[in-house]
Amino acid sequence: MAKVDLTVEICGMSGDGTIAAGGILNEAMSKAGLSVLAFDSYPAEIRGFGRCVTLSRFGDEEMVALDDKIHVLISLDDKQSQSRVPFLAREAMVLFDNRPPSYVDAAASIAAHVEPDVRLFGMPFGDLAAAASGSTRGRNLTALGGFAALMGIPPEFFHGVIRKKFSGKGEKVLEANLKSFDAGHRFALDEFGTVEEGLGDFHGEREEEERILISGNEAISRGALDAGLELYFGYPITPATPIMEYLAKALPPRGGRLVQMEDEIASIGAVLGSFFAGKRAMTATSGPGLALMTELITHGVMSETPAVIIDAQRGGPATGLPTKTEQSDLHAAVFGGPGDSARIVIAPTNVLECYSYTLWSFQLAEKYQTPVIVLTDFFLNNRVENLRLPAVSEAERADWNVYPEEEVREKYLRYNLTESGISPRAIPGMEGFLFSATGLEHTERGTPDYSPENHMKMTEKRHRKILGALSDLPEPQEFSEGVSLDVGVIAWGSTFGSAMEAASAARKQGLKVGALKITSIFPYHADKIREFMNRCREVLIPELNYEGQLANLIGHLHGKDVVRLNRTPGMPIPASMILDKVESIIGHG
Amino acid sequence: MTEERFVVVGNGPAGHQAAMTLKERVPDADVTVISRHRGSAYRPHLLPDFVAGKIPEADLYVCPTDSYKEKDVRLRTGQKVVSLDLKERSVALDHKEIVRFTGLIIAAGGKPRIPETLFIFRELMLTLKTLEDAKLWREKLSRCDSVLMMGGDLTSFAVTNALLQLNKKVYFMLDKEAFWPLRCDKATLEEAGHRLFRRGVEVLMERRVKSMARVSSRECEVQLNGDRVRAGIIGAFFGLVPDVRFLVGSGLRIDRGILVDEYLNAGSAGVFATGDCAQIYHPEIRDYWVSIGHDNAVNLGRTSALNLLGECVKVEAARESIFEVQGIRINTSWWMEF
Repeated sequence: MAKVDLTVEICGMSGDGTIAAGGILNEAMSKAGLSVLAFDSYPAEIRGFGRCVTLSRFGDEEMVALDDKIHVLISLDDKQSQSRVPFLAREAMVLFDNRPPSYVDAAASIAAHVEPDVRLFGMPFGDLAAAASGSTRGRNLTALGGFAALMGIPPEFFHGVIRKKFSGKGEKVLEANLKSFDAGHRFALDEFGTVEEGLGDFHGEREEEERILISGNEAISRGALDAGLELYFGYPITPATPIMEYLAKALPPRGGRLVQMEDEIASIGAVLGSFFAGKRAMTATSGPGLALMTELITHGVMSETPAVIIDAQRGGPATGLPTKTEQSDLHAAVFGGPGDSARIVIAPTNVLECYSYTLWSFQLAEKYQTPVIVLTDFFLNNRVENLRLPAVSEAERADWNVYPEEEVREKYLRYNLTESGISPRAIPGMEGFLFSATGLEHTERGTPDYSPENHMKMTEKRHRKILGALSDLPEPQEFSEGVSLDVGVIAWGSTFGSAMEAASAARKQGLKVGALKITSIFPYHADKIREFMNRCREVLIPELNYEGQLANLIGHLHGKDVVRLNRTPGMPIPASMILDKVESIIGHG
Repeated sequence: MTEERFVVVGNGPAGHQAAMTLKERVPDADVTVISRHRGSAYRPHLLPDFVAGKIPEADLYVCPTDSYKEKDVRLRTGQKVVSLDLKERSVALDHKEIVRFTGLIIAAGGKPRIPETLFIFRELMLTLKTLEDAKLWREKLSRCDSVLMMGGDLTSFAVTNALLQLNKKVYFMLDKEAFWPLRCDKATLEEAGHRLFRRGVEVLMERRVKSMARVSSRECEVQLNGDRVRAGIIGAFFGLVPDVRFLVGSGLRIDRGILVDEYLNAGSAGVFATGDCAQIYHPEIRDYWVSIGHDNAVNLGRTSALNLLGECVKVEAARESIFEVQGIRINTSWWMEF
């Protein structure tokens, strides 16, 4: 059991500075030496509507999932925060503004809705900020000051982060924010004192580790840059837009180019064109954009042209829930498009994997001459973790393209039927290696040919090639003790963290439960998955989609029906829910 | 049909009983209890036993906090009522929230009384009114061997018993205010002193405090007329005064407590006061009396709830148990048991 395992939520209305406060809190806690896993949830509209929430979990051990029980709720808007009350842990602390601009009815007060065990800490956020800085705008910082005092976290950790965040906005803005923070800190210390000990003691324990606070989107961007990304084409869409924003700043100084295209079809077209010309390129989108890209993705499959596509899943179908998380593009990513169009689909499960899988997707795309879809989700893209990014090696960014041998010059068959299905790929401009690339079915030379024999041969070749990629794709990773299991939990994407935590909690109860992480979605390691399933009395597959899309894909490998846990609340599946399901399966066994 | 929204201010024995009675009688009513203190209702008269370590904290509680939820009574703890608006039928809370009601029962209880002459020394003295107080007593007692008891209300004797069981050296200052708010004659005072002496208490009769100071982290020194006493804890037991300052200006009639009729009505339709904070009119003696003690509080809480619901239940007080002290008439169910 971790000595520190604290979940803090800041909840406010758009414009309250909720997300900004959450960012400062996360960074300060990271500086204090704690592990951080955090996630923001905000409305689709820009300002003035809806609830903003930052949910952060801090601990002295690695955090792999969010907790569904909130230990500290900082309410910047009581009306919005009321929806968070059911998630408060026993004896939770609630910091709220006890001097709102006017009297409010019970319906608008968080104090009217909390359970009696909750510890309420009323602070005049707005008044304190106004008195300290001349404006109530710093009330989010005042609240953070109160939090720091109550939890015994030295204010210096926050000061440093506030300086870093606001120093570019001028001395006046910086001072106002520092003063607002200090006012809250002073008030809470005088009024309540420090009520929780121990959080301030971690500084120094992990001090030498070069950890950075990084989101999934930033990790994806860094992975692409470290892979040697030269061209990015995209069209803004939540939750993938931050990738484009990051690269817009980072790519040009490295000699690369970023172009905002007219739509997603143009984006994937440009990515295919770039790879065709031998340049590493990428696009990032979400479900609606992936749908638009579908035909050209299959063009990449047919013409055997590499592409790297990040699909940051959000709630669907259609425009759906732009700012909510879901894992419901798996079918579209694996099967979407006309014809038998097998492509590689990989799905990272945490922020570090967002980095390494993106980095590596370029090599996979090159070697297997196919679009590679990196399937992430809103929770993964937007969550932040503090981690150490490994230094990238030359091998990790090496060109994996299989070039044609010199002896085939002038008699080059671009789609040569090789044993592996991988046909050496020439880059346009290589003298003596002319070929046609087309979306039409074609011969080994690339000439259109619709004969049944040719289509059957070529279809089989393309699938042989993709299945061959299994040798380069990570095998499922098992987290269990013992051989036979009562329940095996198989999960993918961001849900895996909750699955692993649930399995670990179950084992602590003496239950025989294991977790299996699947990151190679297609092709998948059928033998390894089947071997795991055969050791499980029951297999549970929790997913953030209604249809059970991974279960549909791999469920047939089990001797009997897998148990599904399908959720579509727009928020991550908590470990406790998976644990409940595990217990209920075992209880009914 | 108008939805009934009952608000009970205070979660002591009277407030808790009032809330539960309201809910029992009108299950559909919205019943909210607002308490300054955290936690469930507890039995304050058992606090001396808790201080003595004779009972665990869990035994103090009337019920767990979860039982309020089970009974659909909303308990709001750690929240303070700061004013009452009779016209708007609402109370305001410290955090600027308005809570509206169709019926209100004020059971705000009392707070420890510190005589004016000793007020400047209040930081050096411990009272025993709340569970938090009791926890502080336990903590301090674990680090000291002696206690000076001052005042001498009914609680002080129970605490003295607790201290003797803990083998602490006890000094007890007895004077004419010893049994506040009860009037005490010289013979009773001497009898009480005698009883305490027989149990090993060092009794200090008719002393006056000249000064008081902390002399170390573990001890305070009290300069009396004639002696000087050093003790780890100085206990102040001068009775309770109704905690009704927040009602000043509300339109309710306030004397020492809230003046109510024999039905506990505070002079406004649907507004009742009960327990330690009420001064209750007695038609036979034509004067107001206050009630102290756990059992009385529970009875009063129930009576106030019944009357809020339209019944006409008179507060029962046997004349022989009414004491007149300093112009106030007192009823107690404990006094005769001491």
